[in-house]
Amino acid sequence: MTKYFPVIRGTYMIGLVYRFGFLFTILGNIIYLGVAYYLWKSIYRYSDTLRGLTFDETFLYVGLGSAIFILLKTYADWIIHYEIREGMIAVYLTKPIDYQLYALAANFGSLLMGLTAVSIPTVLILAFVFKVKVALGVGLLLFPISLLLAFLISFSIDYFVGVMAFYSESVWGLSITKEIIVTVFSGALIPLQFFPDAIQKILFWLPFQAMYHTPIMMITKANQGLDVFLPMLFIQLIWAMTLFMFTRLFYNQAIKVLRIAGG
Amino acid sequence: MSLIHIQNLSKQFKILNRREGLSGAFRDLFSGDFRTVDAVAGISFDIEAGEIVGYIGPNGAGKSTTIKMMTGILKPTDGVIQVNGLAPYDNRIRQAQIMGVVFGQRTQLWWDLPVIESFKILREIYKVDQKTFDRHMSMFNDLVGLSALYTQQVRTLSLGQRMLCDITASFLHNPQVVFLDEPTIGLDISIKAKIRSVIKELNRERNTTIILTTHDLGDVEALCQRIIIIDKGKILYDGDIKKVNALFGAYRTLKLQIDDFDEKTIQILKEKLCERFGDDNGITVAETEESWTDVTIDQARTPLSDVLNFVMRDFQVDDVRILEISMENVVRKVYDGALG
Repeated sequence: MTKYFPVIRGTYMIGLVYRFGFLFTILGNIIYLGVAYYLWKSIYRYSDTLRGLTFDETFLYVGLGSAIFILLKTYADWIIHYEIREGMIAVYLTKPIDYQLYALAANFGSLLMGLTAVSIPTVLILAFVFKVKVALGVGLLLFPISLLLAFLISFSIDYFVGVMAFYSESVWGLSITKEIIVTVFSGALIPLQFFPDAIQKILFWLPFQAMYHTPIMMITKANQGLDVFLPMLFIQLIWAMTLFMFTRLFYNQAIKVLRIAGG
Repeated sequence: MSLIHIQNLSKQFKILNRREGLSGAFRDLFSGDFRTVDAVAGISFDIEAGEIVGYIGPNGAGKSTTIKMMTGILKPTDGVIQVNGLAPYDNRIRQAQIMGVVFGQRTQLWWDLPVIESFKILREIYKVDQKTFDRHMSMFNDLVGLSALYTQQVRTLSLGQRMLCDITASFLHNPQVVFLDEPTIGLDISIKAKIRSVIKELNRERNTTIILTTHDLGDVEALCQRIIIIDKGKILYDGDIKKVNALFGAYRTLKLQIDDFDEKTIQILKEKLCERFGDDNGITVAETEESWTDVTIDQARTPLSDVLNFVMRDFQVDDVRILEISMENVVRKVYDGALG
């Protein structure tokens, strides 16, 4: 496993090379938070709680959503698709590495970069500019684990879209569709509590809520008990393992197209 | 036992015949009209440790396919292939540890990072310990003199510098065999010479087996004792370079641009050359592109200067170029039985 550590370091360093790009991402995030603040403020004009969430909780939810979005959006689907289509995959196949683990490590480097460059500043802005308060509780301790599982799920979905390159000339349509589905149904944009109950029940059975909603709940409702959090983590774990293994098998199947039928 | 053992190796590709036009493209979605192509059609050879072998042939001859099978990227359709006693395809990760590969058209270096970071990453991927790594790096530096480049981003390197870095990177884990797929493509003469000397040194110092594919016969002449010529998936020649060297060393192509050129001119030229130099003169005449005529001359039989003088006197020649024989012509000669 240790041979994948330098790959994490490598992509983290690429982030440092392009550090000025993050300034604009932070700036964009500040503007987004400002817009979201006044939008939700006007929604909450006539009542203190909506769908069991106070304004503070909702704004924290949306703000964290934007912070996590930076972490999980690593463009892995585009990168993997490009590497396969352009034949870079041949270079990886001549190295003593497993491509999925390599891609995972590369993305983890991007995640760490996003964490230091954008997510932590965003959280600081939430705390000190918007004065958002967080209830203390066991959820805060579980948040890092939940975030890691969310990353695994997000990576697996991106990896699946990327590996489709073996079958499809262009990833564009598939990637955009995935982007919309994930953003809307995961809680990245709107708290899932605001969806109609029937749709919430459906979303509960899909992997997307495990990417944003679950880790965000660990913070916005941090003072709930383990009896609430452990099942949520368990569902995340099941999704992470299932999707990771499924995409692994999918890759093994897809690579045969290249290795047997030729590129 | 030889390092690389290949016997009756073949590789077939299934290719979808694309139909014409928009309606054809739609029909392709539902029914495939496949044809099989023999990229490699039953080749056999053995390569011993420490050899430098030139693996040459025209475009689409099956060179890259063979390399991809030796490196474990492609699975053979049929036949035996063993590198160091193991089948590369079934033991890809293990085999990758004893191989180095350079694809001339692609880089294994990290585009956005300084060169040295790629070396460090490869060191850890191949699990080379720090001491060995440092020793290798100082040796590469004596040989290639690249240390000034180490802090430079890979994307800012010139093609030649990048290639030198790529080649050193492929030797980093001290592999038993290194595959160089067109390492001098698109490079100028001086950097080509540098790359050749580096490859030669690395082979001598470490006894690394090197398989080289190239379009540049100069690479082959400078580096290899043995060459394998392949075309249409079959081996045409496998043996000492000296024999082939004599072949393409003695041939020159005279390119002539003749005024008032038409189909008759080429016929007249042929007849006159036969008249002047006899039937068995080792001269072949072929029309190539617009108004250019290729006259290939075996200097062992007819001196180039005689032919040139003769043609200049009898024809209105606008322009003349003299070329060394091309890969395609070598292969054609071999087909014609020039190597007996």
